[in-house]
Amino acid sequence: MGKELLTAPAGETLLLLGNEAIARGALEGGVRFVTCYPGTPSSEVPDTFFRLSQGAPYYFEYSVNEKVALEVAGGATLAGLPSLVTMKHVGVNVAADPLMTLAYVSAPGGLVLLSADDPGCHSSQNEQDNRIYARLGGLPCFEPATAQECKDMARDALLLSRTLETPVMLRTTTRVNHVRGPVTLGAVPESIEEKPFVKNPPKYVPLPASARNMHVRLLDVLEKARQAAEDSPYNTERGQGEVGFVASGAARNYLSDVLADDGLEGTVRVLELGQASPLPEDRIAAFLAKCRTVVIVEELEPVLETEIRALAQKRGIAVTIVGKGENLPRRGEYATPNVRAAVRAALGRQTAPVETLSVPADLPKRPPNLCAGCPHRAAYYAVRQVYGDNAVYSSDIGCYTLGFLPPFKAADFLLCMGSSISTGAGFARASGKPVVAFIGDSTFFHSGITGLIDAVAYDHDLLVVILDNRTTAMTGHQPNPGVDTTIFGENPNPVDLLALIRACGIEPVKVNPLNHKAMVAALENLAGRHGPRVLVAEYPCPIHARRVGKAKKTPPARVAGDPAACLAVRDNLACPAFAMEGDVFTINAEQCDGCMYCVQLSADIKPGKKEA
Amino acid sequence: MQRARIFLTGVGGQGTLTATTLLARTALDAGLPVTSGEIHGMAQRGGVVESTLLIGGYKSAVIAPGEADTLLGFELLETLRALPMLRRGGRVVGNAEALQPVGVCLGRECYPPLEAVLETARGYAAGVTMVPAISLAEKAGTAKAANMVLLGAAAACGALPFDLDALARSVEKYLKPKIVALNRKALELGAAAAQAGQAA
Ligand code: SF4
Repeated sequence: MGKELLTAPAGETLLLLGNEAIARGALEGGVRFVTCYPGTPSSEVPDTFFRLSQGAPYYFEYSVNEKVALEVAGGATLAGLPSLVTMKHVGVNVAADPLMTLAYVSAPGGLVLLSADDPGCHSSQNEQDNRIYARLGGLPCFEPATAQECKDMARDALLLSRTLETPVMLRTTTRVNHVRGPVTLGAVPESIEEKPFVKNPPKYVPLPASARNMHVRLLDVLEKARQAAEDSPYNTERGQGEVGFVASGAARNYLSDVLADDGLEGTVRVLELGQASPLPEDRIAAFLAKCRTVVIVEELEPVLETEIRALAQKRGIAVTIVGKGENLPRRGEYATPNVRAAVRAALGRQTAPVETLSVPADLPKRPPNLCAGCPHRAAYYAVRQVYGDNAVYSSDIGCYTLGFLPPFKAADFLLCMGSSISTGAGFARASGKPVVAFIGDSTFFHSGITGLIDAVAYDHDLLVVILDNRTTAMTGHQPNPGVDTTIFGENPNPVDLLALIRACGIEPVKVNPLNHKAMVAALENLAGRHGPRVLVAEYPCPIHARRVGKAKKTPPARVAGDPAACLAVRDNLACPAFAMEGDVFTINAEQCDGCMYCVQLSADIKPGKKEA
Repeated sequence: MQRARIFLTGVGGQGTLTATTLLARTALDAGLPVTSGEIHGMAQRGGVVESTLLIGGYKSAVIAPGEADTLLGFELLETLRALPMLRRGGRVVGNAEALQPVGVCLGRECYPPLEAVLETARGYAAGVTMVPAISLAEKAGTAKAANMVLLGAAAACGALPFDLDALARSVEKYLKPKIVALNRKALELGAAAAQAGQAA
């Protein structure tokens, strides 16, 4: 999607990714300030804003972490600007501290928090349900299910937020972020009304005395938001009969498709909730009263189920409520088969098992892998050579988490973004074992640095290897504070990673991991010492370097000597460019990145010839 | 036009998502309601890329096992792996050529033969068409166009709700001018191979 996302007029229909639609919706809502920390499945929202940012009517930043993102945007909304903050679900944990007070302090300019949840753990360490955060933090919550709704709800969430002067959550799930569908556009306003900040400390400074009043005000705002949900066009009812279904989020899609496929549309009652928090109680109570049985269809936690059970009890409505159970589990994603089973069970019908082809269970797997030429592979190889299984490896979140796989097996535990240094430190203190902690450059800036400060202050005994590939590779090569170059050219304000580590009280050792001898020598030297130590393994991600035009083309390596003599390198390095032609080891010239690392490990592998 | 669920599978870097978007645009230009989805968290790192295209008014972009009317497989092993997605009487259009996963490169695992797809699908699918997409794409000018070879093959054997001409028009309209001729050639080679019943 090019500039048209910014410029296309109202009425036009574009084929958009859910995340692109969210960006357009925020623009239609008059957004002027966008902050984020990238994280799948949210990343294309900020990436879209970044791509369009030159000369655009909004400020954009990839913040250092989610907490900072929310705090920076919190300042902007206080200054009166409509703001959007985006992150993945676990990012909200990082931002939880400011989030829990944000709604007290209010959001005069409007502020939407996009929380991209990940049922099924497609690319995440857990499948927490952030609708609970919305309730905990006092944020009204919108839950789109289609690309069109992504656009419309992003706009309406921002408008509601600005009207009520309270932060609003836009809660998506992976399938919604990554759906692609036609979206009919609305207008992007040229200007927004100014809302200048007027000093009023009791309103904006949550000292205990003022916080109590702020809470009273927040509850009043939530009552207004409940009224808005009662009248919301995103809460719709259809159908007839004694059996009813209440569905939210992506589950609405599965329910609709099942009813259409099975010819049941119209024969049951359906209440779809796109704006379910605060709960539109009157609307739901009226629906419950028309049914004998109601099935609640929502992915992950029984959030609506619990609230609706309580509502039925409070209003004295005699209705059977079916929720989480055999057909509707509390984990993973839903799809039409389990929703179909729930529908049929409610109608007292049998479900025929789905017929599918079965394939051999032992097909070769295709796990994601560090790319050919990835400097992390070289770093892991060298660390393995020096420490082998003697060290315990503390891992972190990034491409390099793939070092978990054999042959490196360089991840023994992992908690969350930025935890490798601190968790490694605790493990070292408790066990007395040698610990090597791996962390990427972006992750170090995100929240690794606080662990390093702790390690210095308490003299924790571990080696920290910062895998510095000069970008945020995992989520799509977003710039971080330390990068030299972005798609728009040189970074004018790079943060000096080495100076930062020095300021913490450690003299870091910097090595190019693709220089095998130098890397092993540095590691051996550091392995012999005690206390917190830092090795910065710095070499740019080859994909990023190519993208920003900084990579020189190098010819591929080739097996020049005895292929059988290279098998140990093959097994211990596992570069994706390695291949077998029949029984003979070879290097795939198409796949090879020309990093020349394997050349240093075997006399039988040689650099290829430069093309004439 | 009736409803159709199309499941696409391939390996990161094969252009699976580009092909999906091109099909979605083609459907949209034909006035058909469309929704599409993709899972690509780790795709860039050589992992599996799966995407879906649902035509005719479905709301969910997810295809469950046993639901796909058409399976488009951009890589042989991934085609085999995705066969459980197919419904009885569905169609398979696949690339007969392999991209070795790491276990195979390292000599630890065995790559399944082409026959495995044909044998598994026999008697269940209405048709299986396998074409050497990478070789044909190289003939068109670059291995990168293997995705278009496969789309051409799929259109030619009636696995898509629109014809080859509609796809060719989309290539003209939505791809960079520099690569249009090459991709049109790839479409045609794919279509010809499918009609000739190559490798199936
Ligand atoms: S030079 Fe060797 S290690 Fe580097 S990408 Fe090529 S095959 Fe892999």
